[in-house]
Amino acid sequence: MHPFHKRLLKEFKSLNKNPLPSIKILSNNENLTNFDFEIEITNGLYDDKLYKLVVVITKEYPVSPPKAKFVVGTREAGESGSTGTSENPIDVSSDTMQSSYKIPIHPHIYSNGHICLNLLGDDWTPACTIESILISLQSMINNNTDMTRPPDDNRYIKYAGEFASKDGFVYHDDSV
Amino acid sequence: MKVEIVDWQAVASWHWDLKDDSITDELCGICRVAFDGTCPNCKYPGNECPLILGAGCQHNFHLHCILQWLEQDTSKGLCPMCRQVFEFRKDFNTVTKDINSLLMLIDGHKSMRDREVDEEFDSFDDDLRMND
Repeated sequence: MHPFHKRLLKEFKSLNKNPLPSIKILSNNENLTNFDFEIEITNGLYDDKLYKLVVVITKEYPVSPPKAKFVVGTREAGESGSTGTSENPIDVSSDTMQSSYKIPIHPHIYSNGHICLNLLGDDWTPACTIESILISLQSMINNNTDMTRPPDDNRYIKYAGEFASKDGFVYHDDSV
Repeated sequence: MKVEIVDWQAVASWHWDLKDDSITDELCGICRVAFDGTCPNCKYPGNECPLILGAGCQHNFHLHCILQWLEQDTSKGLCPMCRQVFEFRKDFNTVTKDINSLLMLIDGHKSMRDREVDEEFDSFDDDLRMND
């Protein structure tokens, strides 16, 4: 059991009780240290609306941030992905065609799913939560206007480990 | 009537003795457990793990929780809640080994910050010289 299990339990209960708009928990382990989330993007530039995010709670949580990355994979059939709220109805016809998760295109997201985000590194504090990461990522993609990969994508993915390491990033451009 | 007591069990409840009771109703911002509960490192509540009351800001934590945070370099000695430099009310706690560690960590972060400021000034001086 994670030393901060009580906190994780509170966060988990709150995520279930007050789900974030357009974000749902696909699965989690019993210890609440591994989560799969599905994030829906309403940014019109993105053809794919649904993305899968893996969040891993490290031993040092909440003093250290969770690890998070986007992953590819097949989407369960029958999941309509209708997490859209009434204010943001999603186009059902294009959505049912989609059957796999891809890595969202973004200047801060590498093609292997690793994310360069200050909140996942130096700017994390224990006052942040899994929820703050989800909101940050959703807004980061929803507000994106630059449909490119990071400039060093090819080089980075050759040497990257399973997850992005805290010091592994050069912060290229804070304006996007 | 004669009553014979066969067995008895004492029950006690406890509560931090603070002038301001509203503080003890709060949760620790790091472990999200009530202050009258224990931090995740402790089995029993007590003076081993007292409340640390923010002096610069109004944020309070279990001793072991804020210790764990300030042990991180990335904490930069800042309060997790408001990112102000973290100071705590020293009039409030008796000095223990862990309180001493807390003081040392806060001092360490302070000298790190001072050094960074000095370096900034140095490079600023260099820039000025280059412009001359």
